[in-house]
Amino acid sequence: MSQSLAPECNEIKERYDTCFLKWYSEKYLRGIGTTDNNECAGLFKEYSTCLQGALKERGIDKLLEEAREDNKENDTALMGKKKCKLSETRGLRQR
Amino acid sequence: MKVFSNAETFNYSWEEVSTANWRKYCPWNQKSTHVVAVDTLSRTVDPETGILRTERLITCRQSAPDWLKSLMGGSMDESQVYETSYVDPRTRTVTMVSANLTWSNLINVQETVVYRPLNGTQTRFEQAAKITALCGGWQRIKNSIEDTLVKRFRENAVKGKEGFEAVLAMSRRVFAEEREREKIMMLQAQAGNIRMAAAA
Repeated sequence: MSQSLAPECNEIKERYDTCFLKWYSEKYLRGIGTTDNNECAGLFKEYSTCLQGALKERGIDKLLEEAREDNKENDTALMGKKKCKLSETRGLRQR
Repeated sequence: MKVFSNAETFNYSWEEVSTANWRKYCPWNQKSTHVVAVDTLSRTVDPETGILRTERLITCRQSAPDWLKSLMGGSMDESQVYETSYVDPRTRTVTMVSANLTWSNLINVQETVVYRPLNGTQTRFEQAAKITALCGGWQRIKNSIEDTLVKRFRENAVKGKEGFEAVLAMSRRVFAEEREREKIMMLQAQAGNIRMAAAA
């Protein structure tokens, strides 16, 4: 697996990545337990806590907030198919 | 604005490619050494669509040309990219959109990568990047900055393809070995059961 930008998070990142990859190939792609990868949730939380500190320290957290804001259009286009349909029907009803 | 685009075909199934894609920048890839870290920021599965959405932070280290460094007055060696990816298991599509976090006041780079199955054993990779220099001033400088980045994209794309091929080959081998190990363990367990039954 690849490294973390924060060396202190490498160990927990490696454990999480391994867990995720197993879930992705053995469950997600086979349509089993597609709601969430719960078995890796604990590891992710630990890794995330470690990473958040490192991001704050380096000032990356602020840059990420802006990037997330800019990415909203992509999110709507690639995730929100249902939402589009809903607003369409609402529009029709108003007419 | 300049556009860079590229397409490749990988002789691996979409399932194999989309799995190996998560470890594209691992030590098995000895070509894309400019990527030094990949961190996962968030990951969710949409309960309605089944789409897996992942946010990652990619850290790159690659030296910038000297003229650009002197223009910016400092080292530009480390940069970060924010990537959001969407895996749609129903259409079997992986879409990854990326934007530069570093130097975003100077330049805007928007990249889209899509992996789609061509058939049961082949996967199509399509990449498009839009590069826009934002700094005010001479158009010539803007053009030079954009050209430098397009060139960099082209070089990294060649290395990326070679590196990813290595990761795909290694993944297939490791998965095959794992399956083999599981089969042997199952056979051993069955043999043990038979022996126990015979003894009883």
